[in-house]
Amino acid sequence: MAKDTLTSIYSLILVLILWELVGRSPIIYYNFLPPLSDILALFWELTASGVMIQQTILTLQRALAGLAIAVALGVPIGALAGRHRLFDWFWSPVIAIGYPVPVISLIPVFMLWFGIGDISKIILVAVGAFWPVALNTRDATRTVDENLVWSARMMGTSDRRLLWRVVMPAAAPGILTGIQIALPISLIVTFIFEMIAGGGGLGHLQIQGFRQFESTQVYAAIIAIMVVGLGLDRLLRSFRDWVLSWE
Amino acid sequence: MAGATAERSELVPDGALGSAISFVIEWFPLVIVTALWELASGWAVAESILPPPSVVLVRTFDMLATGSVLPELLLSVYRVAWGLGLSIAVGVLLGIGMARSDSVENFFEVFLAMLYPIPKTALVPLALLWFGRGTQTAVLIIFLACLLPIILNSYNAARTVDQNLIWSAQMMGTSDRKILWKIVIPDTIPEIVTGIRQAIPIAFIALTGAELIGATDGMGAIIRSAGQLGIYPRMFAAIVLISAMAFIALRGFDRLERRVFVWT
Repeated sequence: MAKDTLTSIYSLILVLILWELVGRSPIIYYNFLPPLSDILALFWELTASGVMIQQTILTLQRALAGLAIAVALGVPIGALAGRHRLFDWFWSPVIAIGYPVPVISLIPVFMLWFGIGDISKIILVAVGAFWPVALNTRDATRTVDENLVWSARMMGTSDRRLLWRVVMPAAAPGILTGIQIALPISLIVTFIFEMIAGGGGLGHLQIQGFRQFESTQVYAAIIAIMVVGLGLDRLLRSFRDWVLSWE
Repeated sequence: MAGATAERSELVPDGALGSAISFVIEWFPLVIVTALWELASGWAVAESILPPPSVVLVRTFDMLATGSVLPELLLSVYRVAWGLGLSIAVGVLLGIGMARSDSVENFFEVFLAMLYPIPKTALVPLALLWFGRGTQTAVLIIFLACLLPIILNSYNAARTVDQNLIWSAQMMGTSDRKILWKIVIPDTIPEIVTGIRQAIPIAFIALTGAELIGATDGMGAIIRSAGQLGIYPRMFAAIVLISAMAFIALRGFDRLERRVFVWT
């Protein structure tokens, strides 16, 4: 086992050592690639003083609040479009046009409409995350096995119960896939909005490092971004396993 | 991508007229949305904050007709082409390499696992640190953002190449290089194409992020500067154009795919 771990991470160790050596040597300009030890030292300093945790919480609040709104709107609208022809007729072309819009191009628009505060950021995250959730919910509810629906109907199940007891559980894997696609979008929108409009958060911390030419801060913020991305991805995966455990 | 799946009604006649009618029926909701936007602008919301679609569309066509926006538009296309092209070249090579050789896989896998959870567009400040504002920064971000879907798809495809084909070719004395070009790559092309398709919308998100923050030219920079100067019709027109580019790239790729891969 130990040997297997070593063969799979030896390259990382090599590159990290090389990074440290090159960063310490005069052949490269310090701000291009500061030595790894300096970056880790700053990361530790920011974490210990609570700054990093505070910024991470700011970012997470925005990303997750927006994602929650997107799920709250996208799942019902997607399910209606999947089960109702009239809704489908209305929403499908809207989704087809809305999905490819690079949502971060709307950041200047949202700054105009809602200002640069948290509300503005959260609404834009919700807009960006809405499309994959709605699209995947629509496709998942549309392809629910009709035999299941018919047999439930035959046993006199009400429409409401049908939706919650038959359609939603059968569509759950597709809906969760939509949320998994929406998660990185929520993070991207939050980071880029923070870089452009400020207001704290990891995106702001990173661009601030660039503006003040404190490149160690740029790298330290990226480490935090990596940890956040990895943590949320793992969390969502175990949530998926938990929800779908009956399968 | 999604709208085309709507079923055709039995009431619509066949032939050209029929397809024209069903096209109108299929896309009519967008007319409703546009009409609502037109009504809302100037009545529910101030026109300066939400210019009506008529103004935005006129402005869009104006920018195209006078050619004033063309250099910026082409610059953005150029950046996407470079970023996406590089990611295809490197991604296919790495994906196939990792699938066919354990040592290559052992070397690169850990880096991909570390790159995976980072939203690549969020690396713009790092790219700025290295390259400053401009094309190189945008190309690097687009390249990184598109790399993973292409690697993953070509990796999975190259793993499932029929081993019997390779053995029989080896038995006939075919060189490794020839096996790669004549068997492995042709067999993995459909999945590589899927990977590229997944990468196209990502490329435009990355382009927008990189140009909004890290460029003084290109469509993203127009959106930012028009917003800062308060020329909102221009800002909205630029957003329409960048979205149209993404939409056309995706649709165009689907068309091309259907033409080229008739045999699959």
